[in-house]
Amino acid sequence: MNRQKAKKPLGSRERSYFFILLPILILFFLFNTLPLIQGFLYSFTNFRGFGSYDWVGLRNYADLFGDGRVGNSYRFTFLFAVVSTVLVNVVSLILALGLNSKIYAKSALRGIYFVPNVLGGLVVGYIFSFFFTYILPAIGTALGIADLSSSWLARTDRAWFAIVLVAAWQSIAMNTLIYISGLQTVPSDVYEAGAIDGATGWKRFRSITLPLIMPFVTVNLVLSMKNALMVFDQIMSLTQGGPAQSTESISYLIYNNGMGGGQFGYQSANAVVFFIVIVAISVFQMKYLGSKEEQL
Amino acid sequence: MKQHLKHLLALLLAASMILGMGVITAGCTADSGKVTIELLEYKREAVSIFQKMAADFNKENPDINLVVSSPNDAVTVLKTRLIKNDAPDIIGIGGDSTYSNLLDADMLEDISSYKGLQSIKSVYKEMDKNLELVPKAGTYALPYAANASGVLYNRAIFKKYGWSIPTTWEELISLCKKMQAAKVTPFYFALKDSWTSLAPWNAIAVDLVEPNIAQEVNLGRTTFTKAYSEVADKEKELTKYGQKDIFAYGYNDACTAFAKGQSAMMLIGSYAVPQIKTVNADIDIDSFVLPASSSATENKLNSGNDLQFSIMKGTKDKATCYRVLDYMLKDENVQKYVDDQNAVSCKTGSFTLPSMLDGMKLYIQQNKMADYQDHHYPSEMSADALIQTYLLGQSKADFLQTFDTNWKRYNRDTIAKLKKYETEHGSVSTSSVS
Repeated sequence: MNRQKAKKPLGSRERSYFFILLPILILFFLFNTLPLIQGFLYSFTNFRGFGSYDWVGLRNYADLFGDGRVGNSYRFTFLFAVVSTVLVNVVSLILALGLNSKIYAKSALRGIYFVPNVLGGLVVGYIFSFFFTYILPAIGTALGIADLSSSWLARTDRAWFAIVLVAAWQSIAMNTLIYISGLQTVPSDVYEAGAIDGATGWKRFRSITLPLIMPFVTVNLVLSMKNALMVFDQIMSLTQGGPAQSTESISYLIYNNGMGGGQFGYQSANAVVFFIVIVAISVFQMKYLGSKEEQL
Repeated sequence: MKQHLKHLLALLLAASMILGMGVITAGCTADSGKVTIELLEYKREAVSIFQKMAADFNKENPDINLVVSSPNDAVTVLKTRLIKNDAPDIIGIGGDSTYSNLLDADMLEDISSYKGLQSIKSVYKEMDKNLELVPKAGTYALPYAANASGVLYNRAIFKKYGWSIPTTWEELISLCKKMQAAKVTPFYFALKDSWTSLAPWNAIAVDLVEPNIAQEVNLGRTTFTKAYSEVADKEKELTKYGQKDIFAYGYNDACTAFAKGQSAMMLIGSYAVPQIKTVNADIDIDSFVLPASSSATENKLNSGNDLQFSIMKGTKDKATCYRVLDYMLKDENVQKYVDDQNAVSCKTGSFTLPSMLDGMKLYIQQNKMADYQDHHYPSEMSADALIQTYLLGQSKADFLQTFDTNWKRYNRDTIAKLKKYETEHGSVSTSSVS
């Protein structure tokens, strides 16, 4: 915006935009900013969620760093987020490339691939819970595969991967959609020019497609990383944090101990730290990946 | 003119949105001069009996409108509502750490003036006293129904093989071995849901550990490492007699499997019976006290306040709340509830016990019972997950060490309050129920 314009009083057009924006701003403040501030204040108390409480200063924050359970939930959440982000983006990019090429029943297939995203997280979780508990072990036993013959959800070394599979299966749909729209922004004459220079197959993808859809890669990576860091429904329906607290994600821990258990104040501190971590990661991703974007 | 109209429209839009929200939250303001009393109860499986009682009560008392709400996950709902300062008048919850915390946070009314309390068995009132984190004058809960927990068994299977109820730990283990020899799975575990690990834990601990252990530890007189060593060993031993892959199945799976006769016994409380009967209505279930000690006389029944009523601070009308409690305590209503929920009445009097408590009758009649140990554990400590971790293969020493250190962390404020109480009032006597 240039300076002269900014000093002018608001035009009638801008003013009506402002009035349309106002209710949204108020709602956002009421339901997002205000709770955030409240939570921040509660993080300095031993509030149980009800009744009387004392101010405890920075004790909650000091405790967070010595709490093995919190540390464990961070370790699980990051492992989960990195693995599922990579998995989701690789698979959905491949799917998008397939769905963007000249194939039979393209629109129908695009619709079908989008279905998992329409289903609710809890529904998907309960269906997969049945699958992992009864169907997969039955298949494993029938085929004589030892690793599959007992439920993955019951094993501390496999449960996290089962959740990765379910969460990825569900979020691939959205990312595929974004990649498809990205691929459609690449003009075909660039490919023609590239073909003359001998760029086909992998080379074409590596040097033409990927740099040109880089903005979409950025968006997808940031979105799926953020979603994965806040994983909740799948854990609620598949493992409830078990077995042996091995799949307790940060948001599940905050909900479970903050609301159900009497740790409202302590988990508020955890939420504040988690908020800062997510913002930091997203900013880093935008900065780093943004520098790799190409403009035509 | 047109411009003004536009602005007016935008303003109206904004105002209506905000107003709309106000209406939603203000919601139900009552009418017609009736006193509305809300009772929030946490037993989802008792919804229908509560609805019936409420309708009946409202017919008898035209000046009162009793509303019963029984949401899913009621304790969480209650806590969330308390955050919003929207408390119900009466709550029906269990005698556990939720009650301790509500009491400690000064959320409950003193009901010692309530006459109905005199008809309640003292053993259950004592249990509530023991749940006070810091000793407190007054009475804050009316015990209504208790449950009993131990071992559920399939009477038909026992009859078929001629097995009898074990009375000592050694007899129990040899019975399990006999079952395995006969190709019958002794227990069906539901350890995918970590909370089910607490059922055998409580049933073993009630025989081997003093019921006031939590307060003893808070006062620094003993440690859990000392108290729970044998309990941990014995629960681990029991898991040897489960189905294949005991950590793969949850509570619903296990109830279904037990109902279909896939195991002879199940380590769970009487509260599981209604669920089991939905799968197989004809199953013949009885229960017995888990014998964790080597001498039959030392066994105790695990029984706790499964449903008790408290009046919340800030209720509009305490006297009307008492009338609701009076109604609930009528003999015929107690019996109705006990029959419907397979529960044990906390009220004195001759109530018929449900048939699946036949094996426990003697203990109930002789008052040989004690509360569940986990009613004293803070829920955020997740003792159930700690036990599950141990059963999954953690060493006993590590497990008990974690239990003790976590306990100190999560009960820090309580321990500090107790210490303060001790310096002000002298030594805290920790009464124990026998």
